Amino acid sequence: MDGKKFNLKNLFLSKLSRKITILFLIVGIIVPLFAVYYFYIIIINVAPETLTSETVMLLRNSVILIVIIVTINAGVIGFLFSKSIIKSLKKLYNATKEIEKGNFDVHLEIFTRDEIQELADAFNQTVSTLAKIHEEGKEIDYAKNEFLSITSHELRNTMTPMKAQLQMLEENYFGKLSNKQKESIMIITRNADRLDKIIADFLEVSRIETARLKFNFRETDIAKVIKEIVQFMDGFAKEKNIKLELNIEKLPMIIADPDRVSQVLRNLINNAIKFSNERSKIEISAKLKNNQILFSVKDYGCGLTPDDQIRIFEPFYQVEGTNHHRHDGTGLGLAICRGIVESQKGKIWVESKPEAGSKFYFTLPLCPVREIEPIKVLFSQKGVIEKKIREEFQTYLGPLGIGEFKELKGKNLITKDDLFQYIDFLIKNYILSQDQGLNFKNKIGKIFGDENLQYLKKKNEFKGIVHEDYYLKKI
Amino acid sequence: MVKTILVVDDEPDIRESVKMILEKNGYKVITAEDGDECLNIIQQTKPDLILLDIMMPGTPVIKVVKQISDIKIAFMSVVRISEARKMGLTEQENIVDFFQKPFNVTDLIDRIELLISD
Repeated sequence: MDGKKFNLKNLFLSKLSRKITILFLIVGIIVPLFAVYYFYIIIINVAPETLTSETVMLLRNSVILIVIIVTINAGVIGFLFSKSIIKSLKKLYNATKEIEKGNFDVHLEIFTRDEIQELADAFNQTVSTLAKIHEEGKEIDYAKNEFLSITSHELRNTMTPMKAQLQMLEENYFGKLSNKQKESIMIITRNADRLDKIIADFLEVSRIETARLKFNFRETDIAKVIKEIVQFMDGFAKEKNIKLELNIEKLPMIIADPDRVSQVLRNLINNAIKFSNERSKIEISAKLKNNQILFSVKDYGCGLTPDDQIRIFEPFYQVEGTNHHRHDGTGLGLAICRGIVESQKGKIWVESKPEAGSKFYFTLPLCPVREIEPIKVLFSQKGVIEKKIREEFQTYLGPLGIGEFKELKGKNLITKDDLFQYIDFLIKNYILSQDQGLNFKNKIGKIFGDENLQYLKKKNEFKGIVHEDYYLKKI
Repeated sequence: MVKTILVVDDEPDIRESVKMILEKNGYKVITAEDGDECLNIIQQTKPDLILLDIMMPGTPVIKVVKQISDIKIAFMSVVRISEARKMGLTEQENIVDFFQKPFNVTDLIDRIELLISD
């Protein structure tokens, strides 16, 4: 949707204007030509004796004059007529552009008393319906975050006296406790702490989901941000005798929100420390790659199973099977990271081998996306979409499809473009036939909302060989 | 001399818990359940420190705080310090600390001792 701006040249030479003007010109030339020719013949037949060479000349001149005048008239009227239509169309076009920008406050005022006015009226109604849906969507979103925020605050308020009383008991404010009592209090305290962490994360989620408009973009020295956060995390790393190694290439100053970047980094480094063994190291690097800054955090800890690698960015997902961190987190940290990274059109993914460690990557575009996408941590549509994609994989590739899908998901390659590329690869390697591949693409396209995507078959005869060309057409 | 602390919180359980902790550690404690009651109390006595909740019914805390200039105030709230800062609550000279709820008992005692030691 670009490059189709209405300018003066377009207005004068727009296709519709040209068509109508030419139509008028043709009618304007042919009709008088016939009329005059007819008139000419009548005069010659009725009174041939009165024709002198002068009258013939006079007649011919007036014929030419009449034709020229009529032609110009037809051209001008045709042009003006087309312009009146173009004017309404231009209004319609501008209005749709406004809607595309998210401004539903448009009302078309076209009073041509014809089908164009009817179209404009229908358009106005559609816009008001759309605006209503948009408004409702925003209200629901707001209500959800408000609900999350209020409940979390209320819950924390409730936690406060509970934890205070527990601590008083623990610290013998009310007399010395027996070992059994102490043990009981310890269990309650541990779970109260865990509950409190979950509540805190909920608060964080609601904060982040509502904060998308509060991204604070400014010129940022990314290298400095990384150094600061690494310095900050170094204290925690030292507790486990872990060395943080920093490897930053020369990075340009970029426009970004440093707080968000460091929030993601802090989360990843924190995780790396949590899953590392004592006396190991964590490597943090950042470099330029394809108009993006690629960050990575590598640990030599316990690593992740392939299944964990896929699910680890889901909210509330916790890596199980190991004993030392079951109670450490709430499973929201990485979901929050994903929300932050993806809202800026970046990607986040992990490469890992069990027992060999994990390497988390995320990217940040060099030129910032000022239009921040809504950050969805908890209630994202993503899960629904992923499920549908997985089903299509299974339909087209059989049981193997699920494995393939998981692998792509693990690499975070499940955007529409990525999937199309993958299907192209399948076609190229004769895993799928052209037809199958295209149907597959069509299905995937539909999942991503391309309702009107259709594949047209075009037959080309070239050097005697009939081959089929497919191309996408949006209708 | 025994130091006096005024605890202002609309939640009775929190008020009582904080009172118990502080009294156990040798402070005199007065309680109030909102900003207005707090303002009334400080007209009669002058505590050494006010522990003030942020989200309470009645007069908004930002207005309450503006009327107190000669007593140390420490906030105790579920909101984050960054949010409190945005609300403009941390600018006054006599605002000396911020306790995040749920607080840690030992930490509370340590910091309060530091705040009002002579």
